[in-house]
Amino acid sequence: MDVTNEMPTFGNNAQMDNNNESAYLGPCTRCVLFTLENEVYGIQVKKIREVLRVGNIRNVAGAAYGVLGVINVRGVIVTVVDSRSMHNMPSREIDDLSRIIIVELDEERTVGLLVDFVMEVKDIPEDKIEPLSATKESASRYIQGIAHFQDNVIILIDVDNMFAGIE
Amino acid sequence: MDEEILQDFLVEASDLVDQLNDQLADLEKSPTDSDLLNAVFRGFHTIKGGAGFLAITPLIEVCHRAENVFDKIRNGDVEYDAVAVDVILRAFDVISDAMEQLNNGARELPENDPQLLIDLDALTGKKVEEPASEAPSSTESVLQLPEGVDPDGDMSDEEFEALLNQRDGGSSALSGSAALSLPEGVDPDGDMTDEEFEALLNQRDSSGATQGASAALSLPEGVDPDGDMTDEEFEALLNQRDTSKPTATPVASPPPKPPAPKPTPKATPKPSTDGKAKPVTKNTTESTVRVDTKRLDDIMNLVGELVLVRNRLLTLKGKNTDPEDLANAVANLDHVTTDLQASVLKTRMQPVKKVFGRFPRVVRDLARKLGKKIELELEGEETDLDKNLVEALADPLVHLVRNSVDHGVEMPDVRAAGGKPETGTVVLAAKQEGDHILLSITDDGKGMDPDVLRQKAVEKGMMDEQAASQLDDKSAFELILSAGFSTAEQVSDISGRGVGMDVVKNMITKLNGSIDIHSVLGEGTKINIRVPLTLAILPTLMVGFNEDSYAIPLTSVQEIFDFNPDKTNKIDGQVMVRLREESIPLYFLNEWLAADRPKESYRGDKVVIVAVGNQRAGLVVNQVNGQEEVVIKPLGVMLKNATGYAGATITGNGSIALILDLPGVVERFQ
Repeated sequence: MDVTNEMPTFGNNAQMDNNNESAYLGPCTRCVLFTLENEVYGIQVKKIREVLRVGNIRNVAGAAYGVLGVINVRGVIVTVVDSRSMHNMPSREIDDLSRIIIVELDEERTVGLLVDFVMEVKDIPEDKIEPLSATKESASRYIQGIAHFQDNVIILIDVDNMFAGIE
Repeated sequence: MDEEILQDFLVEASDLVDQLNDQLADLEKSPTDSDLLNAVFRGFHTIKGGAGFLAITPLIEVCHRAENVFDKIRNGDVEYDAVAVDVILRAFDVISDAMEQLNNGARELPENDPQLLIDLDALTGKKVEEPASEAPSSTESVLQLPEGVDPDGDMSDEEFEALLNQRDGGSSALSGSAALSLPEGVDPDGDMTDEEFEALLNQRDSSGATQGASAALSLPEGVDPDGDMTDEEFEALLNQRDTSKPTATPVASPPPKPPAPKPTPKATPKPSTDGKAKPVTKNTTESTVRVDTKRLDDIMNLVGELVLVRNRLLTLKGKNTDPEDLANAVANLDHVTTDLQASVLKTRMQPVKKVFGRFPRVVRDLARKLGKKIELELEGEETDLDKNLVEALADPLVHLVRNSVDHGVEMPDVRAAGGKPETGTVVLAAKQEGDHILLSITDDGKGMDPDVLRQKAVEKGMMDEQAASQLDDKSAFELILSAGFSTAEQVSDISGRGVGMDVVKNMITKLNGSIDIHSVLGEGTKINIRVPLTLAILPTLMVGFNEDSYAIPLTSVQEIFDFNPDKTNKIDGQVMVRLREESIPLYFLNEWLAADRPKESYRGDKVVIVAVGNQRAGLVVNQVNGQEEVVIKPLGVMLKNATGYAGATITGNGSIALILDLPGVVERFQ
């Protein structure tokens, strides 16, 4: 590593991508944004393997609450969870806009999250993310923070916490 | 310690340890076989070499001594007698323990039991009290007389001192510090000048910096060490210190060389300097598998074929294709995938030898402890078995073999009195039978008395006398597989610990295997275990409910017939079906699997009679779709604990079928 450079480097280390609508150059978190009941949620892109249209979900009798069943993702059986149930919302009919987000919990385990609608992938500046005030214990376990960004309120979900301790 | 090299070492050394295990057992039978002796010698030597490279001192110490012992034995100087066997086996245990610890992520090994080292040394006939002879034996460094010294002549103080220094250097290299040597011509007894002291200090520092490797500094020729040191000379010394590398010969050291201690090839870095808190990666022992490169080449070749077929299909796609071309391509695809499947399965196969290898030792130790004479014969060691099965079978087999040795084979005097040879035989055999592997454990011991077993069952309240007396002999033997059934008058520490026979039975059942017992009183017992060749592929019966399909492991299915409500009775709330003078409980799977769609009538449904453990049950299903071999896939997260499922599989049309776990299903209905 070249250590002769004595110029201060902080504030300069963000990569220059084509996100030129904002002049902000600080570190960003790239997220997939989706909606549930008209609220916008975000999950870090690095946690997501893919987004699928909803095909045949095979129900599994006797599964835990919120588990819709299993799907076949190129030969791997993946559990699908209704993310509405995770946020204590009533479930809703699956329609053309519904998607399954395949989340990687670790190298071997993946889980599918059924969401109402997937919007886009966005870089959210880290300084726009505020941690949720720790008043609502149960819900905030899943929530990493809230971002106010470009007229949107984005609820960032911490999937690791969401599925922590689940076999 | 370099993690990557360590992993390579572990893989290699674990193989060597396995080999040594076999060879040591063989050696006991033919202690003079020179090929075997050489092989064992090389085994210890190679492990020592690897351990030396990684500076695993406790391992080096033991291996080195064991190697010395075998060197003597193969030269005929020492005999491989019972005493030697015991000591060597102890040493071997230390080595295999060390390997296990390293495999489990430990990076620091405890010090060796000094008694073991002494015993090993004693075998080579070495006087242990004499430290001078021990140092070289433990570090392999040779003490050298300074050049030009007459070894027969009187030794001057300086020379002796130098030798002592060497020795200290050699032995201290063990503990990690390097040897310091006095510059040539310095009188060790004379007063030390500041410069000399300085130079020595420098030496020490530099060798510490190079992690214990011994680097010797020497004064340039012609410099009077006692005289004042010029700046240049001092500079030169400093340069030497900086440039000397662990094994580099001292720079600018002119002949005659100072008696620099030979850089010990197995320089051992101080544990404290290098054993820094690395994230300890815990490896399960069998996370890797060795595959013949030829098999890999075959697979690569088949994958190449697969790509060709794909390309062909892609070009055929969409155009006005000749149906014949398409049919050809699909047929080709069929071929390639079948071959590929077989080849990939083969990579998972391992010889059953991997499990059998440990038994000679188990039997030997046990027999000695019990004072019995037992010979173990292994048959069909080269039979290939799925890797997971090899691992899963190890524990049940150990238990069964221990049982044979402990309960089966009698004491030598009893055997002699009964007209049998004093030495009992236990045969452990494996062979392939179609798509199954048959493992058998046979002993020529006292066998089992079915009447004693029947009586025991009544005593334990498992059944009444009448039921017990109706059991045929085979069923009586199978009683020993039930939980809490022990006929041993007293539980010994051999058979009383670990798994019981019911656990063995459960483990075998879990592997979709079966276990049966033959025994003749006074002649011996034979236990047969049948397991499928692979765990990955399961023959199943596909059953359906509307569009959902489920798979029942075929090994459990006994018969299938139409559901007839006239032939059922409701006994104590449980619907039973009469089948040839027997009532079998019926479970309506629909109530569980499609609870939201209750059915009015089950007329037209089928009953599948399955064996679950020792009982039978009838599962009422919508339709039976025939037999299918399925690839078992684990259910995803959050479903691991759902009872009643053994996994899932993907059927021919791409949909998912759930595989039923019968004990779990029955549990759900009870």
